[in-house]
Amino acid sequence: MIAFENVHVRFGTAEALSGITMMIEAGELCALVGPSGSGKTTLLRLVNRLVAPSRGRVFVRGEDVARLDPAKLRQSIGYAMQSVGLFPHRTVAENIATVPRLRGWNAPRIAARTAELMALLHLDRSLAGRLPRALSGGQAQRVGLARALAADPDILLMDEPFGAVDPITRRELRTELRRIHQATGKTIVLVTHDPDEALELGTQLVVLRGGRVVAAGPAASLIAPGADAFARQLLGGTQPGLRRFALLPAAASVVPEAPPQGAPELPAEASLADALSLMAESGATVLACAGGSLHAEAVLRQA
Amino acid sequence: MRALPQLLLALLLTLVASPQGAVLLGQAIGETAAPFPAERLLSLALAHSGLALAGAGAASMLGIVLGIAVTRPVGRGLRPMVDAIAAISQAVPPVVVVALSVPAFGFGLWPTALALLLYGMMPVLRATTGALEAVSPDARAAAEAMGLPPRDVLLEVELPLAWPVMQDGLRVALVLSVATAAVGALAGASTLGTPIVLGLQNQNAVLIVQGAAATAALAFLAEALLLLGGSVARR
Ligand SMILES: Nc1ncnc2c1ncn2[C@@H]1O[C@H](COP(=O)(O)OP(=O)(O)O)[C@@H](O)[C@H]1O
Ligand SMILES: [Mg+2]
Repeated sequence: MIAFENVHVRFGTAEALSGITMMIEAGELCALVGPSGSGKTTLLRLVNRLVAPSRGRVFVRGEDVARLDPAKLRQSIGYAMQSVGLFPHRTVAENIATVPRLRGWNAPRIAARTAELMALLHLDRSLAGRLPRALSGGQAQRVGLARALAADPDILLMDEPFGAVDPITRRELRTELRRIHQATGKTIVLVTHDPDEALELGTQLVVLRGGRVVAAGPAASLIAPGADAFARQLLGGTQPGLRRFALLPAAASVVPEAPPQGAPELPAEASLADALSLMAESGATVLACAGGSLHAEAVLRQA
Repeated sequence: MRALPQLLLALLLTLVASPQGAVLLGQAIGETAAPFPAERLLSLALAHSGLALAGAGAASMLGIVLGIAVTRPVGRGLRPMVDAIAAISQAVPPVVVVALSVPAFGFGLWPTALALLLYGMMPVLRATTGALEAVSPDARAAAEAMGLPPRDVLLEVELPLAWPVMQDGLRVALVLSVATAAVGALAGASTLGTPIVLGLQNQNAVLIVQGAAATAALAFLAEALLLLGGSVARR
């Protein structure tokens, strides 16, 4: 869906990105994570040609973006950012309708789509006629997300979209993003400097440092022993083993034998970390799970 | 009612400029010369307004176009030069422009129109560049990221957000233009400066007072109308 081929980006004399080669498959939620200044935003902006590579090529849907009309390309890709950037002189509904209007949708279709998106993002209908300055931070973020989704793009770029809201709202918005991703199957590229957010949301993670990709892959593989030390430290913190277990499903280690009498019951969708926690609480070394048994040795074998 | 003070001042100055008012004022300072008749004053006021409007209109158009041009990526390099030209054109007194351009354009309207254009351009240019630069960078970045072509970014985001501040510049240009159009009388244009010039030639203070008061009344009236127009447009 999106591919980078030996991409370099230079601002003046400083190289912001060096030799990036990677692919983002259709339907992934790819989290770009790394410290401030590591090039996450620059990498994201290459996709819709807000930044041009000084060397190398960027492909979107199989086409070199350098050959595409920038306005058309950008209209086909949703974009949401931390500062939201709602148009202060336009109402919520008008803000959401920006790209559909550019694409020449008729008024009934725009109205229907706006209403649909406001419902999807749990925005009260009464907000439609308000100006952005009369919105809370969380509402503004939701409107920004609705605006990015308005023309139903198959790719969504998000640059620290939940950075400026309070922790409770951030949690809600993350849940919503995951729901939207699962429901629509869109390809989402999410920039974040928060490792927890990357672990929670990303089906694929890309760890950047100093303009280079130091590790990429599913979250659990980046924390596993032997993975890149920087990525492991960034994502795993001081308990990489437990962090990784939190990402692995317990059901995969269950054996089809009857659990012993009185074994504690572990929910079928629980993680290995949940299993360890239940063992630590109950003192049991065998749990009942999904109609089978989960042995402590089997859990630890996943390490 | 934001325009009330301006309207009251315009009314007061109109009374001073009227033949009766001017005679009364003349008596107070021991001046007994005959006043300028009301109907001639009125037709000069009309000609004065037309000239001032034309000058301010041209100055506004030029100022806005230049202001937009120097805030585009391609025009950014011209910014220092354009700023310098605008500053110089305002620093040169209109009377000098009129005097210098008489040899080129001859007597009549054109030297004055040129002076008004140059004099009024700077406030509009300043207001336009300032207002465009003050547009929220986030809104502009979002517009660009969503695929608005540069023309739409300007017309749909930048100009609507900049317009309230730009209006201040337009108002200043018009008021300056009304006030300085009087200078045109020196080059033979029919304006409210005509009684002033006549008064100076004949040492008639009544005529000077009439011309000055009428010019000021017109300037305040213009500002009041713009303020009213602006608040109607906002509704
Ligand atoms: N438009 C720009 N002009 C000059 N330098 C830039 C520009 N954008 C980013 N940079 C530089 O490139 C590097 C990477 O920036 P960025 O991609 O914004 O990092 P991140 O999003 O990871 O914080 C930084 O050193 C930053 O200062
Ligand atoms: Mg960034």
